[in-house]
Amino acid sequence: MLEVAALQRQLEGAGYIAESALAAALLLMLDLGRPLLLEGDAGVGKTEVARALAMVRGARLIRLQCYEGLDVHAAMYEWNYQRQLLAIKLLEHDERPTAVKEQDIFSERYLLKRPLLEAISCAEPPVLLIDEVDRADEAFEAYLLELLSDFQISIPELGTVRAVTRPLVVITSNGTRELSDALRRRCLYQYIDYPAFAKELAIVEIKAPQAAGQFARQVVEFVQSVRRMDLQKKPGIAETLDWTAALLRMGISVIDDEGAERILDTLSALIKTHDDRTGFTRDVVARIAAAC
Amino acid sequence: MLIVAGSPAIDPGAALRARLTGFAGFLHANGYGIGGADSVRVLETSVQTGILDQDILRWSLKALLCGRGDEWRRFDALFDAYFLPPNKKIFAESNVVTGGAREPAGGAGEGSESEPAAGAGHGVAGDTDSGAARHGASREESLASTDFRALNQAEHAREIEALMRRFARRLKHLYLRREARFHHGRRLDLQGTIRRSVASGGTPLRLAWKERRRVRPRLLLLLDVSRSMSLYSFFYLRLARALCGELADVHCFIFHTRITGVAEALRDPDPWRSQERLHLLAAGWGGGTRIGECLRDFNRDHGARLVHSRTAVIIVSDGYDTGEPELLARELATLRRRSRRLVWLNPLLNQPGFSPEGRAMRAAMPHIDLLAPGADLAGIEHVLPRIIGALR
Repeated sequence: MLEVAALQRQLEGAGYIAESALAAALLLMLDLGRPLLLEGDAGVGKTEVARALAMVRGARLIRLQCYEGLDVHAAMYEWNYQRQLLAIKLLEHDERPTAVKEQDIFSERYLLKRPLLEAISCAEPPVLLIDEVDRADEAFEAYLLELLSDFQISIPELGTVRAVTRPLVVITSNGTRELSDALRRRCLYQYIDYPAFAKELAIVEIKAPQAAGQFARQVVEFVQSVRRMDLQKKPGIAETLDWTAALLRMGISVIDDEGAERILDTLSALIKTHDDRTGFTRDVVARIAAAC
Repeated sequence: MLIVAGSPAIDPGAALRARLTGFAGFLHANGYGIGGADSVRVLETSVQTGILDQDILRWSLKALLCGRGDEWRRFDALFDAYFLPPNKKIFAESNVVTGGAREPAGGAGEGSESEPAAGAGHGVAGDTDSGAARHGASREESLASTDFRALNQAEHAREIEALMRRFARRLKHLYLRREARFHHGRRLDLQGTIRRSVASGGTPLRLAWKERRRVRPRLLLLLDVSRSMSLYSFFYLRLARALCGELADVHCFIFHTRITGVAEALRDPDPWRSQERLHLLAAGWGGGTRIGECLRDFNRDHGARLVHSRTAVIIVSDGYDTGEPELLARELATLRRRSRRLVWLNPLLNQPGFSPEGRAMRAAMPHIDLLAPGADLAGIEHVLPRIIGALR
């Protein structure tokens, strides 16, 4: 329990409020050396976990943003073929045997390291963030699986690169595609929900210290009631912080039903679709604000 | 304390180990995707974290053994049930239900059960349209669960499978605009060719080609199983089952007065168990239809997760709806915006004298990419090329 609390404090120092369950999972991840799979709605702070972990561990953060069509070359390594071509021309008048020249051309000097290769060839274990893995296709997921089990990458021209140190792998997913069970089994799992009142208040107080006590409470209460509404896109933590900044910028320092007009002007920071926005009339805002 | 050893005569260490490893089996029985190696990992983890602190053990095992959102949400209750003996039995008995109605089902059920069942507009049912009475669109949920056993009869099954195989094969030939490097293809990939020429001293001996990447769209089936559709719903469920076997990315929901996910149940390799699970999901099967409300529940609970820009939504319904047409139009528009194509199969479309002029159909028409008839296998086969065309 002491360890968990200590890690929570460290994470808080790095600007991340972690629940005990998440801290325990992170400890377990460090102990077992298994990747951590984070799922949850967009904007609940999944990516931030990796950032805070890297800061706490004093490690490098290497990020691989997945997207549709992501291939091995963009994720692992690529040969710098322009430089290789140049080298071939330069080596034409070299007297050395061909085999040696070839070895030279396919040496690490001409290798462009992409995030995954980079992560396993660091001397100090880095934090490897594989962001939104559900956007990449199944084939890439299978490749990733291989990497995560052996921590080695084989490059046909060069040989197998084994991990010097094991990176701490954090994988996030928004659930746009069902991940394979094989990947899920290999990872520790953590579902991150929208923060409860106390947690969100703590986040606002850390990230936006200008918002003083009572005002911060009102902001968070307002956002929490907005989240309970039937919306297409519920506001995440980033939206809460944006909105706090917007309110401060507009010089609003108290949320009540009289200021509903002005609150309405700042809602673009909180409500992100047209349909949701049309639901927020002056009356609705005044009603929520009065309850804060 | 947390761990309860069986009897004092047994070696406490062994009892402890058995108790801990048994937890993995217990979760497996409750529908968790847990392998044999996991019970070993449970032991490793408990050695790592210690077992004296209940919370630490709970959080650690939760991270270790859960694999998806619904498992995550059910874990705490199961943990309590296992390690706090008096409750254990209750959960073990309920495991059939939890196994059958996983997250999609549970979510939809909870969402719609809170609705007042006898909502507004009781008088509407009569004036829906003249056909409504004949086909029996009604508001009450019929409690009799309709028999699903027909789902496994050999009759038709082979033909459906063959048809779905053909359909799946043609779906595999849909292309995306994005190009990828191939061994042979339509266009020369200059960058790739130069890269390959490195190996041969700058002479482009081996050419690289580009080809449009193939993509399989996600299919989302929304099947109307209300009473007016009862002649066709078995047939479509069989079709859905064959499709689930053929393609990986198929999601199937049935709706009448509520909407329920059935992909898990359809995909069950054991046909008998598949049947049992469908039985469980069929509460109110064969009752009236509230398409708009069902779509609203779907959009709210599953829309963001399941529908993306490569999703083809296929709604199978006769369009006899007792709900509000405005709601249906709004929810269809939402669904249409999220998805790539929206196809509506209406089994009655080819019947003489039928025209899509019911209030619900009229409201839905502006949002549909393709309205096609689909009353039997031959009919489906006839419209498949058009469906594929609409998906392109």
